[in-house]
Amino acid sequence: MDNYSLQSPPFEPGKDAVLPQELFTRAEFSEQAGEDTGFTNYSYWRSTLNTFFKSHLVKVIVVLVALLVLFTLLFPVLTDKDPYQVALSARKWNLPPSAAHPFGTDGVGRDIWARVWHGTRTSLILAVAVAVVEVGIGVIIGAVWGFYRKLDTLMFAIYNTLTNVPSTIYLVLIAYIMKPSVFTIMIALVATGWISEARWFRSRILALREADYNIASICLMTPIRRIISRNVVPHLMSLVIMSAALTIPASIGSEVFLSYIGVGLPPDLCTLGNLVNQGRSAFLVYPYQMIIPTLILCFITISFYVIGNKFADASDPRNHI
Amino acid sequence: MQYQDRKKIFSARDVVVKFNLRGKVLTAVRKASLDLYEGETLAIVGESGSGKSVFTKSFIGMLDKNGYMESGSLALDGQEYPGTQSEKEWLNIRGKKIAMVFQDPMTSLNPVKTVGQQIREVITWHFKTDKETAKQEAIELLRLVGIPEPEQRYKQYPHQFSGGMRQRVVIATAIACKPRILICDEPTTALDVTVQAQILQLIKELKDEFGMSVIYITHDLGVVAHVADRVAVMYAGQIIEHGLANEIFKDARHPYTKALLLSLPQLGEKGRDLHAIKGSPPNLYKEIKGDAFAPRNPEAMKIDFLYEPPMFQVSDTHFAKTWLLHAQARPYTDALDREGIKDTEPLRSSRPAEGKEPPLLSVKNLTVNYKLGRRTFCAVNDVSFDIHAGETFSLVGESGSGKTTVGKAIMKICHTNAGEIWFQGKQVNKKLARNELAAYRQAVQMIFQDPMASLNDRAKVEYIISEGLYNFKLFKKDAERRQKVSRAMESVGLMPEYLTRFPHEFSGGQRQRIGIARSLVVEPSLVVADEPISALDVSIRAQVINLLNRLKAEKQLTYLFIAHDLSVVRYISDRIAVMYKGRLVELAEAEALFRRPLHPYTRALMDAAPVPDPEIERDKKVAVYNPAAHDYTREGPAWLEAEPGHYVRANRAELADWLKITHGRGAGV
Repeated sequence: MDNYSLQSPPFEPGKDAVLPQELFTRAEFSEQAGEDTGFTNYSYWRSTLNTFFKSHLVKVIVVLVALLVLFTLLFPVLTDKDPYQVALSARKWNLPPSAAHPFGTDGVGRDIWARVWHGTRTSLILAVAVAVVEVGIGVIIGAVWGFYRKLDTLMFAIYNTLTNVPSTIYLVLIAYIMKPSVFTIMIALVATGWISEARWFRSRILALREADYNIASICLMTPIRRIISRNVVPHLMSLVIMSAALTIPASIGSEVFLSYIGVGLPPDLCTLGNLVNQGRSAFLVYPYQMIIPTLILCFITISFYVIGNKFADASDPRNHI
Repeated sequence: MQYQDRKKIFSARDVVVKFNLRGKVLTAVRKASLDLYEGETLAIVGESGSGKSVFTKSFIGMLDKNGYMESGSLALDGQEYPGTQSEKEWLNIRGKKIAMVFQDPMTSLNPVKTVGQQIREVITWHFKTDKETAKQEAIELLRLVGIPEPEQRYKQYPHQFSGGMRQRVVIATAIACKPRILICDEPTTALDVTVQAQILQLIKELKDEFGMSVIYITHDLGVVAHVADRVAVMYAGQIIEHGLANEIFKDARHPYTKALLLSLPQLGEKGRDLHAIKGSPPNLYKEIKGDAFAPRNPEAMKIDFLYEPPMFQVSDTHFAKTWLLHAQARPYTDALDREGIKDTEPLRSSRPAEGKEPPLLSVKNLTVNYKLGRRTFCAVNDVSFDIHAGETFSLVGESGSGKTTVGKAIMKICHTNAGEIWFQGKQVNKKLARNELAAYRQAVQMIFQDPMASLNDRAKVEYIISEGLYNFKLFKKDAERRQKVSRAMESVGLMPEYLTRFPHEFSGGQRQRIGIARSLVVEPSLVVADEPISALDVSIRAQVINLLNRLKAEKQLTYLFIAHDLSVVRYISDRIAVMYKGRLVELAEAEALFRRPLHPYTRALMDAAPVPDPEIERDKKVAVYNPAAHDYTREGPAWLEAEPGHYVRANRAELADWLKITHGRGAGV
C-alpha cells in the first residue's frame, strides 16, 4: 500500500493556466491538524509474533509441538490402555509393533505405545513446571540483585559455589536425601538452575537500570518494586519467554540423565528417562524399545531449542521489518 | 564567480526513495532534485525524518536493506548512473568519486585496527598501491587533517583519540581516494562547539585544497551559515527551497524556511515569546497532500491543502516550492506584507525578588569524584552557586565539564564527595528520612535531554504522567487523578485523547512535552532541565522553550537549565554560569555576560557557536581556549567579583588584563 500519491500539478510555471482565485485565500488553521504527525500502529508483540511465524520451520514445529502436547495431555482420556498392565503370558512379551500394540511391548508385556505417551506427559509436565519455577525465581532474584548493588558479594559467592561444583553432585545428593519422586526432581533441578537464570537477568537489568526512564521514575520516587514490575520486566518479557523455552529441553535432558543413572524418578514410573533406560537393556535384541522413546525425546528437545532461539531472534526489534 | 558559469558535477533528478517496513511501503524522499556545482559547498537543511540523509545516501547506494530508489536519475559529470546496482558496481563510485563522513566517528572506525591500517587499506584497496607507499600516503593524510605527530598516531587505535580527532581520522579516510564529492552527514553534531568550529574549518580547507564539492547535511542553521555557498531546505521528503546562502538567510520565500529562521532562540527578544512554529513535523506514516507544511502554517492558503506547489523561480539561483509565488497569490501576499510580522505575546514577568530572601537552592563547594580503575577523576570540583526562587539559572559547558553531574547531584541520583546542597533551608545531600525525601523529590523535578530514552516505551502515556501522582498520593479519588492528568496534557498542548497511546506513537517534540507534563504534574518548585532542547528538531525548539517559559510563569517555577550552547541560553536565562573541566569559571547576569565575557574560555565558547548569519560567519576566525595560558605561578586563581554580580575564576593580575581587553566590547552576538 502506498501512503501518498503525487498529484499532477494543475499548473506549470510559465504557462498561463488560471486557477480559481478563491483558492488563494487564507485557509482555516487547526492546531490539532498541525500536531498530527501521522502515526504507526506498531505493536511490539504483534511484530514479534509476525516475525516469529514468518519462518515455515517455526510454523511446522509449533503445530507439531501443540499436537504432541494436546495428544499426551488427552491420552488417558482417549484410550483405556494401561501403561502399567503387565502380561503374565510370555507370548505377549517383547512383541514387535503391530496393530494391537503400535510400538510393541516390553520385557514384561507392557504396551510401549501407552508407556511412551504417559512418559512424555510426565516429563513435559515436569519440564514446564521446572521452567516456570526456575525462570520465575530467576527473574525476581535477578531484578533485586540488579537493583541493589550491595547484594553483589553475597550473590556472587552463591553463584560461584553453585556453578563451580558440577551440578550432577547436587542432583545426586538431593535425590539420595529425599524420596525419589517428581517433586524431588523438580526441587533438585530448580535448586541448581535458578542462579544462572538470576545472573543472566541481573546483567540484563543492569543494562536497563541506567536508562533515563528509570532515572525519571527514581526522581518521581517510584518504589523499586514498581520500577521492576512496570519499567523493567515488560522490557524483558520476551527474554523471559525465550529463557523458559530453552529451560524445557534442558530439564527433560537432566531428568533423563538422572533416571538413566538410577537416581531420578522411581523406576516403576513412566517417564522418558525410565523408558530409555529400560529400553537400553534390551537394545541389542529389540532396538525399537529404546529407539522410539529416544526419537520422541529428540523431537521435544530440538523443537524447544528451535522455538526458543527463533523467538529470541523475533523479539529483537531490529528484526521487525 | 557567477554560478551559471560553474560546471555542474552532479545532479539528481526526481529521486523517489521508498522503504518496505512491516508490510507497508513508506516514501521517504518524494521527487527531490538537486544540482551540485564544482568547488561549492551545498548545505542540505532539514529536520529528522525530512529525508535529507536518505536522499544523499541514495547517491552512493547506501540505503538500508529495506530501502530502494524507485525512480529518478543520478548523473556524475554528465554521466548517468543507475540508482540500483550491485555492491561491486557501487564501489566504482562510492569512496572513489563520492565519499561520505558520518555523524558518529566511533561507529565508522574499526576499534580493533589501528587508524593507520584503516586508512592504508582504503588506499591499497582502491589503487592497488604497495604497502609502504600507502603507509606514507596515509601519514601524509593524517598530517593534512591536522593530526599532530602523524607517525606516532598512525600506530594508535581509535579509542586513543578524542572525539574531534576521531572525526579527523574519518575525514582522512574519506578523502584518501581524492573523491570529487564529499558528503558530510551531520559530522559535528556529536562534538563540542569549540571542536565543531575546528572541524568545519578543516573541511573548508580540504575542499579548497582538493577542489572537492561538499554536500553538508545538518539541522543547525548556524553551521549552515558558516559553511554553505548554497543551501537546500528539505521538508517531508522534498526540497522546498534552494538558493545561495544569502538568498536563503535574507530573502527566504517558503513559509517553512521563513518560520524556521524566525524561530531561532538566538534571535529571541527577552520578555517576549519566541516565534515558534506550531505543530510537529510529519513522519513517514503521514499521508501528505498538497504542501506538506500547510497544516502547521497558520497563513496557509486553501490551495496549499489541495495541490502540491511546483518549484517557482525567484532569481537565477533561488527557487522555492510554494504557491505564494504564483501570480494569483499576489493579493494575498501583499495583504500579508501589510500585516508584517506580528509581535509575539509578551511573557508574564517572573523576575526573581532581588536577593532579599534566602536562595531557594544553594550549592556550596560541591565536589564529585568518580573512580576510574585506580585513578580518581574529579567530575565536579569545588562548585558553589545560589539559585533564587523564580529565576532561570543556566549552567553552560562542554561535554565533560561536569554540568550534568551537578544536576544529578542536585537530583540526588549521584553521590557527592564533599560540599553541601541546601534546599529551602535544609541540607539535602545526606541521608534523608522517608518523608523528607518524598517532600524533596516532589519539590525538585527533572526534564531529560533525550525524549526517546526518557519515556518507558511499554507504558501508556496515562501511566507515565500519573506516576508521580501515585507516588506522592496527590489525589483522593481516581477521577481527580484523571482530571489532573488531562489538564497536564492540555497544558503542554497535547490532546487528552492521546493518553491511551504508547510513547512510540509520538514525535520527539511531543515526547519531550509528555516528559515535561510528567515532571510538572507533581507541582515542583525547582526544575532541573538537562539540555531539554538539544535533542529536538529545530522547528520545535522554540515551541518547547515557549512552553517552559509559560509554565514557569503560570506555576511559579524556578529553573536550573543545563546546556552546552551559550547563544541558546541567552534568551531564557536570568543568570548564566560557565563550567570548564569541573570548575565554574564565570558567573554573571545573562546580559552582562554577553556584554563583557571575561574569562578566555567563555569568550572562546561564545565565538565558537556559529551564528545563523552568513555574513558574520563567512570570515570568522575561531580562537581556541588554551588552559596553559594562565600564569598561576605567582598567585593562584580565586573566585573574584569583577563587577557587581559578575564573578570569574582568575588571579588579580589576569583579571585586570581581561578587563582591559574586553573594555568597550560590544554584545558578543
